[in-house]
Amino acid sequence: MHLKNRLDVGEFAVLVEMAPPKGIDISRMVFIAEKIRSKVAAVVVPDMTAAVMRMSPLGAAMILQSKGLETVMQVCCRDRNRLALQGDLLAAYAGGISNVMIVDGQDLAFGDHHQAKAVDDIDGLQLAEALGGLCAGKDMAGTELLGAPAFFFGAEINPGLQGSELERELEKLSRFREAGAGFFITTPIFDLAAMENLADKVDVREANLIPTVMMLKSVGMARYIQRNMPHFHLSDELIRRLQKAPDKVKEAIQVARETLGALREAGFKGAMLAPMGWEQKLPEVLV
Amino acid sequence: MIIADRKPLEEIQEMVENCEKILLLGCKGCVTVCNVGGLKEVQVLASTLRIARKKEGHPLDVEEKVLERQCDPEYVEQLRDSYDQYDAVLSMACGVGPQFLSEAYPDQRFFPAVNTKFMGGAVQHGIWEERCAGCGTCVIHFYDGMCPIARCSKSLLHGPCGGSADGKCEVSRDIECIWDKIVRKKMEQNRLEDLRILRAAKDWRTARDGGPRRSIREELVK
Repeated sequence: MHLKNRLDVGEFAVLVEMAPPKGIDISRMVFIAEKIRSKVAAVVVPDMTAAVMRMSPLGAAMILQSKGLETVMQVCCRDRNRLALQGDLLAAYAGGISNVMIVDGQDLAFGDHHQAKAVDDIDGLQLAEALGGLCAGKDMAGTELLGAPAFFFGAEINPGLQGSELERELEKLSRFREAGAGFFITTPIFDLAAMENLADKVDVREANLIPTVMMLKSVGMARYIQRNMPHFHLSDELIRRLQKAPDKVKEAIQVARETLGALREAGFKGAMLAPMGWEQKLPEVLV
Repeated sequence: MIIADRKPLEEIQEMVENCEKILLLGCKGCVTVCNVGGLKEVQVLASTLRIARKKEGHPLDVEEKVLERQCDPEYVEQLRDSYDQYDAVLSMACGVGPQFLSEAYPDQRFFPAVNTKFMGGAVQHGIWEERCAGCGTCVIHFYDGMCPIARCSKSLLHGPCGGSADGKCEVSRDIECIWDKIVRKKMEQNRLEDLRILRAAKDWRTARDGGPRRSIREELVK
């Protein structure tokens, strides 16, 4: 069942983020993808997360589609102008990729090509408008297309904000929805409580809000997130739980499984699992 | 200097359509030199706006003033006693002006009356051309005094491209191909070998790609 249909009928959709390789060796990506194929609704393919150069999501998503997995191709405006973005979107759809997620894309300063020039020809909302245009059969210049795609697209949302920052985020959500966005994947959360601020203001089922469950690979990672990422709510209790666990890896897998289960119970239509390099452990989480 | 063009009158009129009294604020810096936002231009625009609004039966009171520079808090401060006497302030300075004004007087609205275009100079009376893109790492010395970042449409460091013909750029016959000029000069001076040097991919961090920039001169910071 396609992701859109799954969300429409309310069947819990498990998504998994899978970064394309930095190189041409796709064997690991394909090996893991085939192992989880029957357990996930779709694989989300990031667009050079944290500005680290990797295989393009277009290429990686097409490879995954060819292996029988549905994909959500992320697209950010940092590295391509409106011609390249539209061209890649057309190529994606023709190649079987019908789900797209618009992301902001972190600044080049975060990545491994610090000296590069960012493009930022258009922004995410303008890209959403352009996607709507492509689906209506016209490119951004108004020229008619030879066959129009029918993308199901979404955007990202940060549930960890408060006050005026949350208002700003809600405004962004409503503008993306007006532009046709059909789902929203959140920045990482570590417990259900992290969704409360947003859930108070938005009908999470109507907006197809999909929380991201990030795997905590170590206590150090958890502490780093707690100290340095103010919008990510990570409780002391969770850190203590990981600290006390005799087998921390097993515990981290258990935490991810529990969070997925809690989201399903709470009525969310889906969740995305971000393995953070622990792709090989995905089969254990997705039992 | 910074070169600007005045915005179309309709756009300016639209900005101030709900105002009854505005201050039209010129600048004695770059925009005076490029004849777009100095005393004379302030007088002309003020009269034009007054006449247009009078015709519409909705008169606009336009006060005129010219600051020494709008990019300097010291001069911006001169509006302290009067800035709030208007429905809005229309600045004829480059894009820096309305922003410095907004920062100094957050409860007033400041509109730009000009479009800020580039850094350059006058090549003849009434014609200005771009010479510098402000990339933060000057390479003019490699190219005999000509900047390919600012003056080549593609900012090529190894040109010319295939679109260069008869010394003109493919973008427009009105644009000279700077790479044609660079190569010719190197040939004339028998230094064509210079162009065989492979330039590394440019570090754009010193340009806008490192985020909004600052320049700090420690010895001047109090």
